[in-house]
Amino acid sequence: MANLKEIRNRIVSIESTMQITSAMKMVSAAKLKRAQDAVTQIRPYANKLQEILANLSSSLDISENDFASDKEEKNIVLLCVTSNRGLCGGFNNNVIKATMKLAREEYAGKNVSVLSVGKKANDAFKKTEFNIKGSYLPSHLEELWNDLTFDNVAPVAEKIMQAYKDGHIDKIVIVYNSFKNVATQIVKTEQFLPILPPEEVEGETATANLDYLFEPSKEEIVEELIPKTLKIQMYSSLLDSMAGEHGARMTAMHKATDNAAEMNKDLKLEYNKARQAAITNEILEIVGGAEALNN
Amino acid sequence: MILEVITPDQILFKGNVTHVVLPGLDGSFGVLSNHAPMISALTEGEMKVDQIVAENKGDEFFGKYNDEHKNDASFTFTIKGGIIEVKDDKIMVLAE
Repeated sequence: MANLKEIRNRIVSIESTMQITSAMKMVSAAKLKRAQDAVTQIRPYANKLQEILANLSSSLDISENDFASDKEEKNIVLLCVTSNRGLCGGFNNNVIKATMKLAREEYAGKNVSVLSVGKKANDAFKKTEFNIKGSYLPSHLEELWNDLTFDNVAPVAEKIMQAYKDGHIDKIVIVYNSFKNVATQIVKTEQFLPILPPEEVEGETATANLDYLFEPSKEEIVEELIPKTLKIQMYSSLLDSMAGEHGARMTAMHKATDNAAEMNKDLKLEYNKARQAAITNEILEIVGGAEALNN
Repeated sequence: MILEVITPDQILFKGNVTHVVLPGLDGSFGVLSNHAPMISALTEGEMKVDQIVAENKGDEFFGKYNDEHKNDASFTFTIKGGIIEVKDDKIMVLAE
């Protein structure tokens, strides 16, 4: 029979674990709310920018742009977006696996390197052949998560764009978790550079035909616009990933709390059984003793 | 006319204005009511807004500068660059 004290100790330990997991769940829920707000905040901005770009490129060929050149794809950079912290289920592993698969299969035979955002990706890729060499790419990207604002993301995006312009890289792909709902994150792969032609928005032809004045010229506006859309694209992927991280952690912690409660229930049952057995034993001994005295 | 200034992180201003001065790539320019549709790129510089204070009290007008300059007929702030679209008597500034 299990030792009473042993079971009691386990119950206490599980209870304190439960406290931690449920507190973490609550913290993640609050952070998730904020992250989701940020995602909804950026949407009108991104949509408007996309609309203007689509509007301009319908009358202008953007394939001449610095960021659109169709070079041979030799040096490929995969931007792997993970979190700094763990305890969020398969969140980080899914992205790392997807990145690994891209590097090993789709881009096999090319010069692939992985630029990692977040400590988890950094730890995973540091020891592989995909580790970044050279200083033309930004580093210490895990610090982005400490304070994720557009002003912090913009310089990183600029540095990557500069590296592309200078010909160090021929293609950049972002791999990240996109937030679908609290329980589900979908690993998404998005081409960052070279830029893809903007999709024609259905039903937006009316605005496209409007006679706009362009100040200065269309070409110069496009020149300004494309880096902006790229920065926004990167920022929104990071925001999406952050919302996904908190969602994943919330779900993981919720499950952990549930499991702990379940385990606690079983242990309590076992504890009571053991206690009952000990009492029965004691009564038996007393009765036995009394009987022995009577005789 | 309605002016809306947004950045990726927040809404800076939304409200009725009479006149806006913007830092264009080729120098600053002003926009008055009923301007023709226009798309323009902005550079780093100062934006000057003349708002109609009385008409900007509704709940639909909110933003950082709506609160800060609640009663100022005219105020300025700096932006790092951006894109502006003027359409249907509405100015949309995508600032940075």
